[in-house]
Amino acid sequence: MKNSLKFLTAFVGIGIGSTVCAADVKIIANESVGATSISADELKGVFLATKTSLSDGSHVVPVLEKGGPAHEAFLKDYLGKTDSALETYYRSLVFTGKASMPKTLGADAEVVAYVAKTKGAIGYVGADAATEGVKTLEMK
Amino acid sequence: MKTKSMLVAAALSLAPGLLNAQFDFTLFDKSFQIHSFASEGFAYSNDNNYLTMNTSQGSFAMTDGGVNISTQLTDKFRVGAQVYDSNVGQLGKWHPTLDWATADYRFKDWFGIRGGKVKTVMGLYNDTQDLAFLQTFALLPQSMYPLDMRSSTIAHEGGDIYGEVPLKRWGGLSYTAYAGQRQDSLYGGYPYLLHTFGISIQSYGGLVVGQDLRWRTPLKGLLVGASHMDEEITGTGTVELSVTHGPSFQGITPYWEKSNKDQTNQVYGQYTIGNLRVDTEYRRYWRDQEVFNGTAEVTTDVRTWYIAGAYRVSRRLELGSYYSRFSDNWRSTVPGQVEAPNQSDPSRHLYDKVVTARVDLTRYWNVKVEGHFMDGWAGTFYPDGFYQAANPNGIAPKTNMILVRTGWNF
Repeated sequence: MKNSLKFLTAFVGIGIGSTVCAADVKIIANESVGATSISADELKGVFLATKTSLSDGSHVVPVLEKGGPAHEAFLKDYLGKTDSALETYYRSLVFTGKASMPKTLGADAEVVAYVAKTKGAIGYVGADAATEGVKTLEMK
Repeated sequence: MKTKSMLVAAALSLAPGLLNAQFDFTLFDKSFQIHSFASEGFAYSNDNNYLTMNTSQGSFAMTDGGVNISTQLTDKFRVGAQVYDSNVGQLGKWHPTLDWATADYRFKDWFGIRGGKVKTVMGLYNDTQDLAFLQTFALLPQSMYPLDMRSSTIAHEGGDIYGEVPLKRWGGLSYTAYAGQRQDSLYGGYPYLLHTFGISIQSYGGLVVGQDLRWRTPLKGLLVGASHMDEEITGTGTVELSVTHGPSFQGITPYWEKSNKDQTNQVYGQYTIGNLRVDTEYRRYWRDQEVFNGTAEVTTDVRTWYIAGAYRVSRRLELGSYYSRFSDNWRSTVPGQVEAPNQSDPSRHLYDKVVTARVDLTRYWNVKVEGHFMDGWAGTFYPDGFYQAANPNGIAPKTNMILVRTGWNF
């Protein structure tokens, strides 16, 4: 019984941890993007280069961060790939002529600045990052 | 040639320090990307020479590389091209080829077309088989992705239709259908094999039609798929005749061979969870061909499969292992070509147990150390890595080999 309780506590703890992680990331887009929300499937498709437009027809181009907590949380919660697996995936597309390497930037502020000035750009930043000049997409 | 390989190896070891990012530039308001890769290998085997390299003495003759340029012309239209060159033992021989050159228009996410010289989508790794920096292994399972037969499946000149169809809670489907012409390298394993019979190939290729369908299942990390390919292949060249019965005669005469039926079926699965990846594939390749200017017929039924696992231990280290099986049934009306009576004969199979450690020295530079423990050599009438010409003293039934391969890309 004691062991079961410990297991349950750990399990719930992991669940809460994951929720906190997902909430740590904001999805941002250039003002040209018509959509105000995006589903997890759409987001995954956009960042795995299988999807180039959202349900409202807006063309989107993904922007990634090089590393950091927002990047780690985004990969884990939305793409289900490790950093090295994602890099391998992109390179397999680039070296077979199926896609270009996406823009990769160093920090939240750089991503916000790039998304603000680039038509169709969509990226992710930490939940507490300032996001002036871009729109924040709700998760469906 | 050995000096050349050593120089390339030295250059490769310096390059990663100099190159650590992709090269982008803008022209006419369009952003262009240039990427490249190269690899150098050293193989040492205890007995047989493998993949036409002099591996029993230790061989550095395993080098390849490529460079590509691409740009997105509009939201939906992109173009690009890649040049590839290689020298592996007696294969490739530094003859550069246009690896791919495509124009790609994606009308919708579920429907796009690409044309030109297009990498052929078949199974998990056909289109990326020569990009060693993407793989855990220094050599992919050779039963499925033979290095010596690379050019026979790698690309076609023609067109694809492709797309991604979301299935909501049932995952998603990716499809590719293609048609075109395949043109094999004259420096590949099959022309090398035919030299043994006095045949010099000048052209080898033909029509290729195929499809690939893969399903990203609702079970997170599980992908399953199937591929099918039909081909009509013709080879032309010359054959050197040497008749010693009766009056002695020597001469060169035109040669041709063609496939009456040439078909590949493949199924595959991949499961990824965290840092663990497990791949498995099964392929059946069936060929019925007329050889020696239609005077003889050879049917070949090749069945191959492998299971591979790879685990990323840390940012720098990945460990992997696979078990790969190649076996064939063939029937030939060529005088002197007789199949061994059962599959347990080393001339009828090639089983390979492999262990690998991949070390990522930087993001763009890796070194792999790999052990191969091979049982069988699968005969001398099919290009499967072991060639009579590279092993003039005969082929032993078992081969152990260590392969060290380093590669970079940017």
